[in-house]
Amino acid sequence: MIKVRAIALNTFSSLLRNKIVILFCAACLCVLLLMLASLLTLRNMRGTQNAEMMQMAVLPLIASMMTLVSGFGSLLAAWSAADAVAGEMKSGTVLAVLARPVSRWEFLLGKFLGVQLMMFVFVLLMLGLNYLLAWIGGATIETTPWVLIVYPMVRYMIYSALGILLVTVMHPIVAFCIALVMMIAAGLVAPGNPQTFMPQWLRTGLFYVLPSSNLLSETRFLTITRATLRAALWTDHATALVYGVNYALVCLLLAACIFRSRSLSRD
Amino acid sequence: MAAVIEFQHVTKIYKRMFSEEKLAALSDLSFEMAPGQVCAFLGPNGAGKTTSISMLMGFFFPTSGEIRVFGKPPGDLAAKEQIGFLPENFAFHKFLTAPKLLRFHLQLAGRNPAGTGTLIPDLLHKVKLNGYENLKIGKYSRGMVQRIGIAQALLCAPKLIVLDEPTSGLDPAGRREVLQLLTQLKAEGKTIFLSSHILPEVEQITDHVIIINRGKMVRSGSLRDLLASGGQVEIIADRVPDELRQSTLQGAAIEPVQQGVRVLVEPARKRETVEALWAAGCDVIAMTPQRNTLEDLFLKEVDQPGGKA
Repeated sequence: MIKVRAIALNTFSSLLRNKIVILFCAACLCVLLLMLASLLTLRNMRGTQNAEMMQMAVLPLIASMMTLVSGFGSLLAAWSAADAVAGEMKSGTVLAVLARPVSRWEFLLGKFLGVQLMMFVFVLLMLGLNYLLAWIGGATIETTPWVLIVYPMVRYMIYSALGILLVTVMHPIVAFCIALVMMIAAGLVAPGNPQTFMPQWLRTGLFYVLPSSNLLSETRFLTITRATLRAALWTDHATALVYGVNYALVCLLLAACIFRSRSLSRD
Repeated sequence: MAAVIEFQHVTKIYKRMFSEEKLAALSDLSFEMAPGQVCAFLGPNGAGKTTSISMLMGFFFPTSGEIRVFGKPPGDLAAKEQIGFLPENFAFHKFLTAPKLLRFHLQLAGRNPAGTGTLIPDLLHKVKLNGYENLKIGKYSRGMVQRIGIAQALLCAPKLIVLDEPTSGLDPAGRREVLQLLTQLKAEGKTIFLSSHILPEVEQITDHVIIINRGKMVRSGSLRDLLASGGQVEIIADRVPDELRQSTLQGAAIEPVQQGVRVLVEPARKRETVEALWAAGCDVIAMTPQRNTLEDLFLKEVDQPGGKA
């Protein structure tokens, strides 16, 4: 386990210095700051508007922010994972690592866990920002925070495992684009989506194959405009989360199988 | 004694994706390396050295044939525990400092860096990187990167050290230091498998030589035997008559030098040549056995027209 932990921590440190990841986070932060600015403008208008209007504005804002952050996060997870593996191949550092008594699956698992560590920090930061926005708007998010932590994390697990799987056979940019297309397609084939341009057979097929963003959305359990937790059975949570973790593990196992027989050289 | 490295009829063919084009990087390569040997693995650029080393480390897979390291297939964790490896143009995580990099590699070897005492400072001292502990590797010079590469290769006291161009990027002083280090490792009984283009330096430490060209073995054996087999005798005479050049000395290398004429002949023909020169009334000024160098041998083997080159 010491080997996997070392690779995970090294990946985490490396990702914190990755220019594209920093750019991703900066873009995300810019959007959040724009939202914060509009919220502060509303707050300054409190003298003329009543407090109830303010509270009505802040919760949809948080809801849209959560959707945005969720989308950003999935893309960030897919890119970080793809780049974490491809970067080591490109620079040749993978040769030094795998010359040690480290299995190829341990290398991939370490990379995966390193990405999860970064995404966990991302989720915590975004959660903190949600609470900050709610506090500025004078509203309170009345829910257990675990839903806001675990569901995004499971989604990010899927997209990072997908990124790792794809990058074992293709260029990271192509892998990222495929992950992006899959994410959009998963949203399009979700049961609640009314789009009709796709034939039913394709829609059904994609629904079974693609990761279900609908099932793994924390908003399924949140009435976001009231910011309270909907009553849901623990079996609902368990089914959704097991589905997500299972999807990620299948991707990771496939990646390990492909990576096992891949020739490694400095790209 | 069991061989440390065994290559048995190893062939590696690269295939282009979506094409029928094939390139044979290695063809039926077979050799063995005994424990405690220093083996120089030589060949011109594109000969297949790095492909062979990559297969030895389990990074590539042979198309056919078998490779064993310590009796195990390449990539086996038990075998890798006993190997220290320095790839060509070694790359490191640039944000790490040298001690952090070595600690990371200790963890990759499954060891807890906390219990290693002075191992890391000693290694940094050995490769003359002490004093640069706080400098990130991204700011290192090429020579310093090569030194930290050598330090990580020696980190877990490996029995087999595989070095792909260890002196690449080093200045003459750096090359001499690496050579001293390798001499010290040889004295410690380590098995060293070494690929390098700097042949005069390799010659000083190596016991065994393998020369490959275009993926095929062209020469293999102990350095002493290989150099002894190709030696010539240099004979300096005041002159060489034309009739001798056409008869006894036909095929011998003859060139004018300051003292007269230099004739290079095989050791078996030295007596016959000297007698012929005396008989022709020439004065034989000197006769010196010429020692082949590894560079001579290498150039002779890889420059040969036809099959070998």
